[in-house]
Amino acid sequence: MNKPIVLSEDEKDCLQELMNISYGAATAAISKIINRFATLSIPSIKVISSEELSEQLFSKLKDNKTFFISNQLINGNLSGQNLFIIDSLSAKNLASEFGLEEDEQSQEDIEDIVLEITNILSSTASSKLASLLNTRIGFSSPTIKYVNSKKDFDNEYEYNYENIIVISTNLQFENQNINAELVFMKHKKSFEFLTKQLNEFLDDY
Amino acid sequence: MTIDNQANNIIFNAVDNGIIILDKDLSIIGWNHWLELFTGKSEKEVLDKNLCQLYSYINKTKLQRRIKTVLVTNHSTFYTMDQNNFLIDIPYNNITNSQFKSMQQNVTIVPFNLEKEQVCIFIYDNTSLSETNVKLNDLNNELKELSHKDYLTGLYNRRFFAEEAARAIALTLRNNSQFSIITMDIDKFKNINDTYGHAAGDMVIINVAEKLKELIRKSDIPARFGGEEFVLLLYDISSTNAMKVAENMRKLVENLEIHYENEIIKFTISFGVAQFDTFKDDNNIEHTIVRADKALYEAKKSGRNKVVLAK
Repeated sequence: MNKPIVLSEDEKDCLQELMNISYGAATAAISKIINRFATLSIPSIKVISSEELSEQLFSKLKDNKTFFISNQLINGNLSGQNLFIIDSLSAKNLASEFGLEEDEQSQEDIEDIVLEITNILSSTASSKLASLLNTRIGFSSPTIKYVNSKKDFDNEYEYNYENIIVISTNLQFENQNINAELVFMKHKKSFEFLTKQLNEFLDDY
Repeated sequence: MTIDNQANNIIFNAVDNGIIILDKDLSIIGWNHWLELFTGKSEKEVLDKNLCQLYSYINKTKLQRRIKTVLVTNHSTFYTMDQNNFLIDIPYNNITNSQFKSMQQNVTIVPFNLEKEQVCIFIYDNTSLSETNVKLNDLNNELKELSHKDYLTGLYNRRFFAEEAARAIALTLRNNSQFSIITMDIDKFKNINDTYGHAAGDMVIINVAEKLKELIRKSDIPARFGGEEFVLLLYDISSTNAMKVAENMRKLVENLEIHYENEIIKFTISFGVAQFDTFKDDNNIEHTIVRADKALYEAKKSGRNKVVLAK
């Protein structure tokens, strides 16, 4: 049986702090691009199974019947997937923040905005984390899926992760009803690299 | 590794994809050889021109937003295309290609010179992959269609009928509507096969299917359950009206003549009709079909070529 992934309290604290800095970079980028103040909540870090992830995501989104999930593959030492999950109403509000008038908001336009924000958040936060951990990463083009049930989601995303480190945060915009979640999922080999680098980081301080 | 200007220039012009260098106001600073070849516009011609004025169909707001993202984040971004799937319309002149008139493209925007606020746009030819995807999609749809249909008649098969029946029940319960089932069986079909051969039997079955298709509405579900047995699901129809549909079909077949190798084949069909009934059928369509089958048996027993309503 595979050894389960366990993070010590110190490692968790350290990762949380690094993620705080990384998300800070991501929100700063968004604020600069659309001139709006956005915040990402303090990241929560959990090690869970693929099934638990699907349960967890859906328990948070149960009141919203439909949503968009975009997915970006990360390559390199910290390989994995970043998911950006946003309910349909929040996605519409997000499109308004990006300057799209209501009559311009076709499904295609909204998907485009969600893809763009995924790219900004996911690439900025992941790159910042990578640079803090003295490594580099690459990204694939994000893809998007409109999902209206848990079954849809499970059919679409068959994870090949035994255990997933989920680092999630909520994105909120000033004066706007936008709630979204950014989830980082890491492969096991990335996890080994991550703990090694976290411990080096801890030793330095 | 340091690459000198000459090496840069060689790579810029030798690479097998389009490269545009742009500033944040969309002025063209670089235009590589690949683009010169495919667009027919030389670098000299386009330098300092605005890309969106040169190609007015490009979504300027979107492109500027993407460029801003690249300059702020110092990361590459992926430019998602509209339904045309290109940034620059490049006619695709492959004689074997029938799917796309324009080259299908993947476009990435990367930082080039942050101080001068310049970015690089990479355009990749994605047409072959898009073509394969379209073909794959078409074949998948064809396969799906085939898996739903009976090979001989083109009517739906039993499996698809079961799926559709589940949908019919759900709709009926939700909308408080109704649907009816007609089961039908060609009378003395064994005699046709024995007298004229199996090819003639197949011809009879195909003709019944054709008449059935002519008679019903688009929304109805005609299926062949095997052999000479057909089942018809009629949406939003009471048993009274379903009886009329069956009677029309009965008359149509009764007057039908099939010409086969200098012979004229005439035959009849017997029908059983049942309206779905929540209580009688316990929300199970199999029970409705069984009731219709019992009525069909009655029709056979009482002389064939008849329509009988189920109890």
